[in-house]
Amino acid sequence: MPDVQSMVLEFVNKLRKRKIEGSQATARCTVELLRSVISHHRVPHANQASALIDAVKAVGAQLVAANPVELAVGNVVRRVLHIIREEDLSLATAAVAGLDLLDASDDDEDVNGKGIGYPGMSAAVVAAAARSTLRPPSLQTLLEGTPESATVPYTSSSGADSESKTADKSSITRKLKHDVIEGVNQLIHEIAGCHEQIAEQAIEHIHQNEVILTLGSSRTVLEFLCAAKEKKRSFRVFVAEGAPRYQGHLLAKELVARGLQTTVITDSAVFAMISRVNMVIIGAHAVMANGGVIGPVGVNMAALAAKKHAVPFVVLAGSHKLCPLYPHNPEVLLNELRSPSELLDFGEFSDCLDFGTGSGSPLLQVVNPTFDYVPPSLVSLFITDTGGHNPSYMYRLIADYYSADDLVM
Amino acid sequence: MWRRSASFILDDERRRTSNSPPMADNTTRAPFQNPDAISAYYQTRAAHHGVITSDWLAQAQAAVGGGVSGEENSDSSVSELGKDKSFNVIEEFNGWRKQPDLAEAVAAIRALAAVIRASEASTMMELEIELKKASDTLKSWDKTSISLTAGCDLFIRYVTRTSALEYEDFNSAKSRLLERAEKFGEISCKARKIIAMLSQDFIFDGCTILVHGLSRVVLEILKTAAQNNKLFRVLCTEGRPDGTGVLLSNELSKLDIPVKLLLDSAVAYSMDEVDMVFVGADGVVESGGIINMMGTYQIALVAHSMNKPVYVAAESYKFARLYPLDQKDMAPALRPIEFGVKIPAKVEVEMSARDYTPPQYLTLLFTDLGVLSPSVVSDELIQLYL
Repeated sequence: MPDVQSMVLEFVNKLRKRKIEGSQATARCTVELLRSVISHHRVPHANQASALIDAVKAVGAQLVAANPVELAVGNVVRRVLHIIREEDLSLATAAVAGLDLLDASDDDEDVNGKGIGYPGMSAAVVAAAARSTLRPPSLQTLLEGTPESATVPYTSSSGADSESKTADKSSITRKLKHDVIEGVNQLIHEIAGCHEQIAEQAIEHIHQNEVILTLGSSRTVLEFLCAAKEKKRSFRVFVAEGAPRYQGHLLAKELVARGLQTTVITDSAVFAMISRVNMVIIGAHAVMANGGVIGPVGVNMAALAAKKHAVPFVVLAGSHKLCPLYPHNPEVLLNELRSPSELLDFGEFSDCLDFGTGSGSPLLQVVNPTFDYVPPSLVSLFITDTGGHNPSYMYRLIADYYSADDLVM
Repeated sequence: MWRRSASFILDDERRRTSNSPPMADNTTRAPFQNPDAISAYYQTRAAHHGVITSDWLAQAQAAVGGGVSGEENSDSSVSELGKDKSFNVIEEFNGWRKQPDLAEAVAAIRALAAVIRASEASTMMELEIELKKASDTLKSWDKTSISLTAGCDLFIRYVTRTSALEYEDFNSAKSRLLERAEKFGEISCKARKIIAMLSQDFIFDGCTILVHGLSRVVLEILKTAAQNNKLFRVLCTEGRPDGTGVLLSNELSKLDIPVKLLLDSAVAYSMDEVDMVFVGADGVVESGGIINMMGTYQIALVAHSMNKPVYVAAESYKFARLYPLDQKDMAPALRPIEFGVKIPAKVEVEMSARDYTPPQYLTLLFTDLGVLSPSVVSDELIQLYL
């Protein structure tokens, strides 16, 4: 539909120009866009799940290509694909169960010809085989080979000739889209509410008279600390300013406005102050499948300092930040270089940045990476909206939220 | 008396068995060595590698002299099953195993498939019992091979679950089992291809890879990377006593990959120029650690202390339900080692062919189930056996 296409193009442009700040906002916009794509997409009668999946994948690939560093986009696209597969599967099992009942009531003699198309296998087996397409490949399914697709029950039902069955079929058509859109709405709700869910757990982790260190500015961390303050815990916060954007200054102002005792320090002072700190709390930009964290530049330093002084390093991340990919060169591939003007004023240094002698490249280079990668061995705890987890447990959450077939788009 | 391991029970046993040597032809050997423990698995690997000296042959003959009686025992136990077949699962397994390109687990499953084919059972239950007996025979014949045990267990598990799915016709169930067992060889080949594809991203241009041992999976990974025109070089350890380094460097130079051979002791010396370590595995244990050729643990320790990633490439059927607590906590797998010169009679030789690398020294495992961190392995095993 032309309307949806223009929406997609507009969003791709926004992503490419980095107009949307923050993974939560990006995730929300992406999901809302995908919801429009799904609701406007005309699905054929047979194999509608695969039609929807293809449509979403096509749009998703465009979005991810526009901003490959913003992992929340890819995460959310994969969540939507997983929702589609799940709803399809639950409808399939319901349809098979329904067919079973119909046949049992229809024909008493015709026991063998169940009309499912699987000679000698019961409906439970079909459902089990279909369910295994949803889980990642495992040792159990190793010997089974590729299970037959879950759409076979649909085609067999379309082959049946009773009118009640055709009426069922058209209602099934509408039902899939409806269920998927419901699931997507739930996802939007989850993304919007992640701050509250995480902040609810603050009281278990922050104790009386503690000193917390944080770096840069993260809304999740702000809500987390304020929730503990609400519950009458008194504690102090050290905020590392997070050069070159100095967002730590903004966070410090917010914290003081809410009545928390705050100290601002430079990034270089982190190692000096870490021995006085009880806990380091950081908001993540993304969490990778191995438990590694992509965070604002400077968190790796804070993590190393915390490890050296045995200070717990806690990372807060909403579920839309969990990425199912394993990082193989995150410092380079998952990083972005921002404008050097944040470090050095153009006016003062413009002569150094001019092309130097002979070789044709400037003698002065300014590098301003946005993100830092923290390996999983330095992280003590992840707090997500589902609770607190070990870094080695992240693969489980990922298996719950995503399907194996969607990893490569 | 010098050995003090955390598993004091094992020490106690060893002390007891060494005081009463079991076999008569043990007199030529030093008291702590048990000829029966010479691992058939590692013998076969050596045969595949083709490094056989006359010294080794002589020792192997002596070992086979002890081993044949073991085989006869298992022969008689097979015939004790009460069935009149001239069929012997051990022979079948041996036949399959000799092929150099075939994984051990595939050979085991083919042998069990042959059991099904030759079976005269008429119900699933009977077939399962026969298979269980055959699998136990295979496992007891060579206690040291982990992929053999894992392959047998996997197949038995599969049979049990399939029969629970109410196939109405026994013959169709039997033919389906046969078909899946035959297909397993393809699955194994496909597994190697999947692993090679998953690991491509981790090999970047200009990297240096350290490889230990001659794993067919790692070779496939390097071949695929070379075919994708990646620029990298490989450092191979010499791999005594199997001489895997020379064999691997042969294979790699055919593919025009720059190779450098290192002494096993030169690994720490060269570790700073290495970007990543790739090893295969003889078995992946429940903790997420691996059992592999002797020397792997050493390399993993050095790599870990220098912050270099250690990647393991293993097919999923190598996952085994073992949980070694230390190096000596496994069935001993001994392998004769030749030093080229005569060793005085009173000098012992550490003949173990394999070691255990704990999971904290491994970075990632590449399997056909996907890229896994070591903690995922126990999850997979639990799912299989629940």
